[in-house]
This record gives sequence, C-alpha cells and structure tokens, in this order.
Amino acid sequence: MRYKGNILEVTGLNLSISNGSGVPARILKDLSFNIRSGEILGLIGNSGSGKTITSLTIAGLLSEVATVDSGEILLDGEDLLKKTPQERRRLLGEKIGIIFQDPSSALDPLQTVGSNLNEVLSIRSDVVNKEERRERILNMLKTVGFDDPDEIYGRYPHRLSGGQRQRVLIAGAALMNPALLIADEPTSSLDTVTAMSIMQLLHEMCQEMGISILFISHNLDAVHDFCDRVVVMKEGTVIDSDTSWDIMGQPKSSYTAELLTNSRLDTRTLGIKPGFASEDAETVLTVSGLSASYGKGRILRKRTPPIISGIDMEIKEGECVGLIGSSGCGKTTLVKTLLGLIPASSGTVSSSRKLAAVFQDPVSSLNPAHSIRWHLKEALRCSGKPLRKEEELPAFKKVLNDVGLDEIHLSRFPHQLSGGQRQKVSIAMCLIAEPSVIIADEPFSALDSSSQASIIKTLSDINHERGTAMLIVTHNLRVVRAMCSKLIVMDSGRIVESGLTETILNDPKTEATRALIEADLYGV
Amino acid sequence: MGNRVKFAAGKLCEFLLTALLVSFFTFAAFSIIPGDAARVMLGTTATEEQVEHLRTELGLNEPLAQRYVSWLTSAMRGDFGKSLAFSEPVSELISSRLPVTLGMSLIALIIVIVVSFPFAAVCSRRPGKFTDRALSAAGHILFAIPPFALSMMLIILFTRVFGIVAVGQYARPSDDFGKFLSCLILPAFCIALPKIAMTFKFLRASMIEYSASDFARTSKSHGLTDFMILIKHIIPNSAVSSITVISLVLSDIMGGSLIVEQVFNLPGLGRLLLAAISRRDFPLLSGIVFYLALMTVVLYFMSDMIAALIDPRIRDRRTS
Repeated sequence: MRYKGNILEVTGLNLSISNGSGVPARILKDLSFNIRSGEILGLIGNSGSGKTITSLTIAGLLSEVATVDSGEILLDGEDLLKKTPQERRRLLGEKIGIIFQDPSSALDPLQTVGSNLNEVLSIRSDVVNKEERRERILNMLKTVGFDDPDEIYGRYPHRLSGGQRQRVLIAGAALMNPALLIADEPTSSLDTVTAMSIMQLLHEMCQEMGISILFISHNLDAVHDFCDRVVVMKEGTVIDSDTSWDIMGQPKSSYTAELLTNSRLDTRTLGIKPGFASEDAETVLTVSGLSASYGKGRILRKRTPPIISGIDMEIKEGECVGLIGSSGCGKTTLVKTLLGLIPASSGTVSSSRKLAAVFQDPVSSLNPAHSIRWHLKEALRCSGKPLRKEEELPAFKKVLNDVGLDEIHLSRFPHQLSGGQRQKVSIAMCLIAEPSVIIADEPFSALDSSSQASIIKTLSDINHERGTAMLIVTHNLRVVRAMCSKLIVMDSGRIVESGLTETILNDPKTEATRALIEADLYGV
Repeated sequence: MGNRVKFAAGKLCEFLLTALLVSFFTFAAFSIIPGDAARVMLGTTATEEQVEHLRTELGLNEPLAQRYVSWLTSAMRGDFGKSLAFSEPVSELISSRLPVTLGMSLIALIIVIVVSFPFAAVCSRRPGKFTDRALSAAGHILFAIPPFALSMMLIILFTRVFGIVAVGQYARPSDDFGKFLSCLILPAFCIALPKIAMTFKFLRASMIEYSASDFARTSKSHGLTDFMILIKHIIPNSAVSSITVISLVLSDIMGGSLIVEQVFNLPGLGRLLLAAISRRDFPLLSGIVFYLALMTVVLYFMSDMIAALIDPRIRDRRTS
C-alpha cells in the first residue's frame, strides 16, 4: 500500500440537472469525501442517492444537462473542475480508470479484445510506442487472470463470458496504471462465484499496483469485506462515513441501519418467513425427466448437447422453493422449459393450473407504450378467465393492493415507475391469472437493496396469504434462507442436490453447493 | 479461418438453392399466364397451322417439367432463346442494355452511401437540435417526391437553367466511357435522392443508438474523443446494421431505374422490358425478369457476405 495522503478530495460539491423547464433539480448537495492513496473506498446508498452521478462527475463523463454549481474535486492536488475538457479527457484512462456495471455490451462486438484494448494505448503514442503496445496488453491480460493472453487477445467479445468481459474491461481501465479506479457496481450483473473472483482481482490490483479504488455498490457485504472505508450517501449528500468495520458494526445513522437491515434481509424486522407446504397440500407442479436443448441448423437439425437433462421436481401448494446454481448451469433454461418457451426434448411438466413468471429485468418486461391498466387487462385476457367489465376494477385494485401498489398506479406508464414498482406490476400481472405457481427468475438482482427487500416481502406475503407456490431462481442465499423452505441446487444442467433449505445450506453434499456457499460468505 | 470458409460455403449453398427456386418461379409464372402464348403472339389473324407451328417451335407442347429443365440447361449456358420482336438472342439484348441499368444503380448507390453516412453522423451528434431537424425535414421532403417527377424537375433545372449536362444523349461505354458515365449521373441522382432520405433516417437512428451504447461509453472512459469513437466504433456498427437496409435500397434503386430510364431516354433494361411487354415477346420478357430476380438474389448474397465479413457474431451464429 502506498499511503501518501489523499489521492482524491471532493469538497462541497453541488450539482444540478435541468430537465428543460423549471428549476434545475439539485442532485448533489454539498458533497464532501476523500480517498486515500492505495485504499478501497466504498460508496453505498439506495438507487437515486447520487452514487453514479458522483462517479461520473469525478470522471468528467456527465451529460450536458448536468451542471456543477460549486465545489472542487482534487485529484493528486489538481482541481479537475478547473481543467479544460481536453485536459480532462486526457486524464481518462491515464489517471482515472472506470469500469461499469454491465460488461455484456461494453466491448465493441466488431473488434477483437486486443484491438478494443489497443485504443487506450494508441491515442497515447507519445507515451507508449507501437512495439510496446501488444506486449503491454498481453501483460495486463495476464495480470487480470487470463492464463493464455495471446489467445484472448485475438478473441471477439461475444466469445467471452460475462466475468471474462469484466476482466478485459478492468485490464483496459488499468492499462495506463491509473491512480484511481472507479468501479461502479462492477459485479452486480455477475453470478456470485464470478463476482467474488472479480472482487479479489480488484483487491489484488489495489495491493500490488497501488491503485486506489472507488467502489460503488448497494451490496453492503461486498463493501464490508473489500473496502477499507465506507461513505454512505442519501439524496446527494454524505450522511455517514467511517471504516467499513465500524459502519457495519455500529451504524451511526438510522438510514445506514435501515440499509443494513434490507441488505441482510433481516427476516424478523421485515417479517418474512419461509413458505412451507401444509401436510395435506396437493402437488401443483410435477416435473419428471425433463431435458431440453437449443436446436441449431435449418434443414438438418443438428443434435446439440442438452442444456438441462433429467430434471425431476415437485412443488406443493403454499411451498416456496429456491433454485440456485452458478451462471450457465441451466437455471434460466429450466424456467423457460417449464413455461413452454423452449420445447422440452423429453420429459413432462404437469401443473394443476397455469404457471406465471416474473423475470429479471423490470425495464424491458413491460410495454413502454401502455399504462399499467392495459398490462393488467392483457394479463387477464391471456389467463383465459375474462371478467365482466364491472368486475375488472375491483380485481385490479385487489392485486395492486396485494403487491403494495395503489389504484393511482393504474393510469401510470412504466417509465413513471421505479424499478421496484415495475417488478411489482409484473407480480400483479402474474397474480391476476391466479396461477398455481409463480416462477420468479432472479426478480431482485436488478434492484437496490431496499427495493429488493420490498419485493421479497411482497412475494413472501403472497406466498403465505394466498398459498401460491413459488419457485425462486436466485444466486442470493440470503433470499433463499429468508423465504424458501426447500432448495434445489443445479450444476451443469442437472439437479445435484435438493431438500430442505436448512439441511442443504448447513451440510452441503456437493462441490457445486459448497462453492456457492463460499462465494456467498464473501458476500458478493 | 475455418469458420469463415464454413460460413461462406453455407451461404453459397443457400444462394444456389434460392437462385434455382427463382428460376423455377419465373419460368412457371410465364407458363401459367392464361391463354395460348403462341396464339397471343401471332394475333387473331393467324391460322391454326401457324399457331401449331409456333407451339412446336417454342416447345409448348411438351410437359411443364421437361420444358423447365431444357430452359434451365440452356439458361445456364447463357442461352435464353431468341427474342421474337428483335430477332436477336435474348442474352445479347440483355448484356447490351445491362451496363446502363447496372451503372446507373451503382452510381446511385454510391451517392446514397456517400451522402447519407456523413449527414447521419452530423445529425446523430446532437439529435433534436436545429441541424438535425433541418436535415431530417429535408429528408422527408425528398422521400415524398417520386423519382419520375424529380427527374423532370432536374432535367428542366439542368438544361434550361444551368445548361450543363446534355440530357437525353447517350454514348456507349465502349465508345466513350467518360461520356457514358456523365450521362448516367443525373438519372442516378434522381433515383438516389429519395433513397438517401430512407438510408439517412435509418442510419441516424442507429448511430444515435450506438452513441449511447456501453462500448461507446467504454471508449470514452479510455479517453477517446467523440470523433474517434464515431469513426472507430459507431460507424462500423451502424454499417453492419444498415447492410440489410442498403441491400433493400439497392433493389429499390434497380426498380426505380426502370422508370427513370424512360424519362432520360436511356437504352437500359427498363426500356427493353417495356418493349418486351408491349410486343408480347415472352422469351425476352422471361429472360429479363429472370435476370432482374437473379440480380436481387446475388445482391442479398453479397450483403450477407459483407455483413459476415465485418461482424464476427454473424459468422459464429451460423457455424457454432
């Protein structure tokens, strides 16, 4: 570690965003914090608290509608806000590296990894000459954990996994050995095992290369394990800041305490309990010997190895079953096959009533052109149980009430709702069809911890009050512990373990389960 | 490299199959036209004997499948029979007219690409601002003018007002290539203008989309200027997504050239086609239609290949 004072000092930063008309909205209010040389600083807070805006302001990547009203940002003692746009651009990649949330499309798909990274060096031909470039990129690829950098150099991004892409992006951000690396939720779209390895990589880079890291996250456990200090933001201002140990142990403000409760899914405070089936409950979903594969080829249908095979499971009324497994183990394929979105190549799925699903991305799951009322009507129409006109409104009110929304939301459009509210609309659309099982495929992962807690509470309440069975696909073991009585663990397309949640988590029998639990302990 | 070869081979098979289907449908279309082709050609005054003679000469008495096979085998040698109206081999007639239509289409395509890419790039930089709105409005107006009306307006403008281009003159490419090209430019421009609007609109939208993409943001965080991001990432990516549109535009352009040739009095395929229709010259007609259909298929084949050449995902999608 190199400790030579502060690498970054943000003092009295005020920023506002104008939305065309009226008074500009103040987004950052008198924000002050600093990052010491060689440390990892965690920046936490709910969605909309201004974390990302802060990072973009430091990087100088703000859009034109945002204006800095006052304050200073000192990087290595130089005020960034006094520099010209050209000078600030020059700093990007050289002194400040940034990695973002979702690595899936963050590399140009038309160019190889090598040429994606080469642009960092080619625009600095005065610093790095042409011959050195390839050598330097290969070394960096090795540093970020690729065993065969030569091979990765020539690969196209679509042939990399999400974790590998994030590694490439980290390599790009670190190529010029910057003083500060801004990591804006770098692991939130990755599965736990991959996320943990990315976190470890960042930690190593901080230790070995002396890069200071601003780590933005809403995952408090990750922050706790990897950050030296933590700054808590709420509504554009710092309300708590301390070493991560103290923040997590004794939060000074009630807001931080609430963040912790939500993030840790404190089941007692939130009132969530696992959903068990009663003794005489009937089976609502039976799956036996289910296999599925993605067929390729147009005329001659080539046989591809099955994505999932030999899946047997049973869900009873009122039961809440968790489904876990690392990325690519076939969880989503199983969900799609259950729903009939992918034809099963063998095996059967039988259910007493319809199945309904809530998916991961609340933004693209709803049609932006229509109101919530339209969405509910559509769901009702598809359920095959049309109601008379006068029955519709009470039914809509009831389901909205059940998911914690209001009648006023009926006339709203998706863009007027928050991520959590949209996800609740998706749940309401499920409920109106009165399904036997609600299948939720990672319904929380795109949300911040407060919205997550609220969605989990909603699902759990529906599970208990309506007795609707649930299949929850997730990589968050906290969620599983909080609401699932039974657990299914998948690995490489097969079920490797299933049984009571407690039993499996306390005494894992397979390597796959152990790896998932270990990754979860690191809290990423 | 293996992937590329595999991809190209797959596409080539697809292309050949499509071409075969096109040839069959073209042939079939002319065979199921109601009425006796021989009778229609000879008119009402012909005797039964003359009609029967022509039927035998044209092979109309044989079954459809057999006629198709013999037509196809000679077509593959470039022999589409003899034109009834011109008493010349169909293939010679077509090949003498092809340079005009093809040349005009290619010039039009170049104009479309050269104009719409920079304009789209300019507009996508600041969508919704004055330049963007003005150019988009101009595009809408151009899009609304049919090529033949535009042709006449341009003819008047250039000959009467400027007096620059000699309209209605034509030189064969073998005689004077420069003059051949110069007499194609104005008609090509007339066909291109409405298509520029279409291509421009599509490119603008896709460039705006790619400007907001994650990889553009990554490049920005690497310290690249907006212009470098445009050249390095946004234009290549929009080019891939616009290839389909451009190939549609090109087949539209070829269709448009058939009309514009009339206005500019150029000896292209369009005029030949009209002559064939009005004189009921079936061998010539089927030859031209087959040629045009085949060119469209070739066009799609080429656009697929170009897309695959630029975009590695397309190659992999087919072969993995």
